[in-house]
Amino acid sequence: MISGTFINYYIHCKTQMWLFANRINLEDNSEDVRIGKVLHEISEEKVDEVSFEGIKVDKITKDYVVEVKKSDSDLEAAKWQLLYYLYVLKQKGIIKKGRIEVFEKRKQNKKKIEVILDDESEKKLLQIINDIKKIINSKMPTPKFENQCKKCAYYEFCFL
Amino acid sequence: MKTKYIFSTGEIKRKDNSIAFKNHKGWNYIPIENVREIYFLNEVSFNSKFLDFIARAGIVLHFFNYYGYYSGSFYPKEHLVSGNLTIKQALAFEKRRLEFARNIVKVIAFNIYEVLYHYYRHDKKELKPYLEYLKKVPVYLEKAQKIEKILFVEGSIWNEFYDSFKYFLPSDFILNKRVKRPPNNPINALISFGNSLLYTKTITAIYHTHLNQTISFLHSPQEARFSLSLDLSEAFKPIIVFRTIFDLVNRKKLQVTKHFEKKLNYALLNEEGKKIFITAFEERINEKFMHKSLNRMVSFQTAIKLDGYKLIKAIINDTEFMPFLIKEKR
Repeated sequence: MISGTFINYYIHCKTQMWLFANRINLEDNSEDVRIGKVLHEISEEKVDEVSFEGIKVDKITKDYVVEVKKSDSDLEAAKWQLLYYLYVLKQKGIIKKGRIEVFEKRKQNKKKIEVILDDESEKKLLQIINDIKKIINSKMPTPKFENQCKKCAYYEFCFL
Repeated sequence: MKTKYIFSTGEIKRKDNSIAFKNHKGWNYIPIENVREIYFLNEVSFNSKFLDFIARAGIVLHFFNYYGYYSGSFYPKEHLVSGNLTIKQALAFEKRRLEFARNIVKVIAFNIYEVLYHYYRHDKKELKPYLEYLKKVPVYLEKAQKIEKILFVEGSIWNEFYDSFKYFLPSDFILNKRVKRPPNNPINALISFGNSLLYTKTITAIYHTHLNQTISFLHSPQEARFSLSLDLSEAFKPIIVFRTIFDLVNRKKLQVTKHFEKKLNYALLNEEGKKIFITAFEERINEKFMHKSLNRMVSFQTAIKLDGYKLIKAIINDTEFMPFLIKEKR
């Protein structure tokens, strides 16, 4: 079953997504991942995490579905992850807007970013989902070195 | 993440969220987040509450008895499990055993060559025929079409290696014959102790990957041991175990009359000897170097885990598996 994480990783890195989907989730000693986990734990106290059908929503308000992130370093990935949540909810007849809340601003000035599922993004999302299924069932995509790789838990695995 | 060694007798337990150890000197607290594994080299008592605490932190415990023999490990429940990979690892044993085994033996020969070349350069010219033999090992291996033949080549490499000690070690450490259980002289004791330490270090490294500990390639998986650990430790034996031994012996940091048990015919390290050996062993395994393809600093300890990653990659991508070559050090 596809989860929000698949969508996030699909945008971020196809190799990472393949490894995650094939349950090769390497241990991570990196500080960033630990902080991310702690932030989720802290914010869980404040909100009710809602999870169903492979999605885990950080917070749902009257109008919004909220996704909490440590930083805005890969907003595009977070955006599609959230759009997927909105899409799954829409199938259930629940129509909401999305909001990403970041703890740390790096690339832009806002702490809250609004995301809306429209026809165009829905169409693209369906393509992404299709593509994900295809990638998971084929060979591991060859990793391509990007700057973001240096901080990834899979760095050593990929470039050994 | 550190390795803790406990040499003295005492008691160990969970105290709040720390590990507390008591010996004749009093209590000692070890913060749990810094620990990756603990070695027990003496009699220590603990309870299941301690084991539960340790297991949840993913810490591996290794036990050695008073004589320095490895008795076993406490291994928390697997946290990295991939059914897919286990199936592929088993299939790789069926299809690619010879290929993987050959590369492991190639690497043993290569890494021994590097270690001995140092002595050859420092005027031990008698090593020349053996070095030439090591260079030809890949050729012999290509001809070997059965695992028995590959194991025979491996056996010869080690035997000749032990035989070469007479050219560069002091006379009381020369090896007449490798005897394992129990070792019968100081050098056999050092080799056995060093190899067991490396074997357990590799168990911990593999624990932190998805690999199955029992499916091995060079060693037979029927050994009823964590035989993959035997496979993956081979590449590191010359570099970690034997370099430590040669260094300690040649610099006279370990001496037969001072650091071995006299009443057991010097065939076992005494407590001080163990401490000296472990300190030097730890120093070496934690030594960091610039890794060629990763372009970052890694320790030899990490390099063992990275060999696990390499094996995973070779298994899932159907690519070559080449264990750690000293060349990877830039």
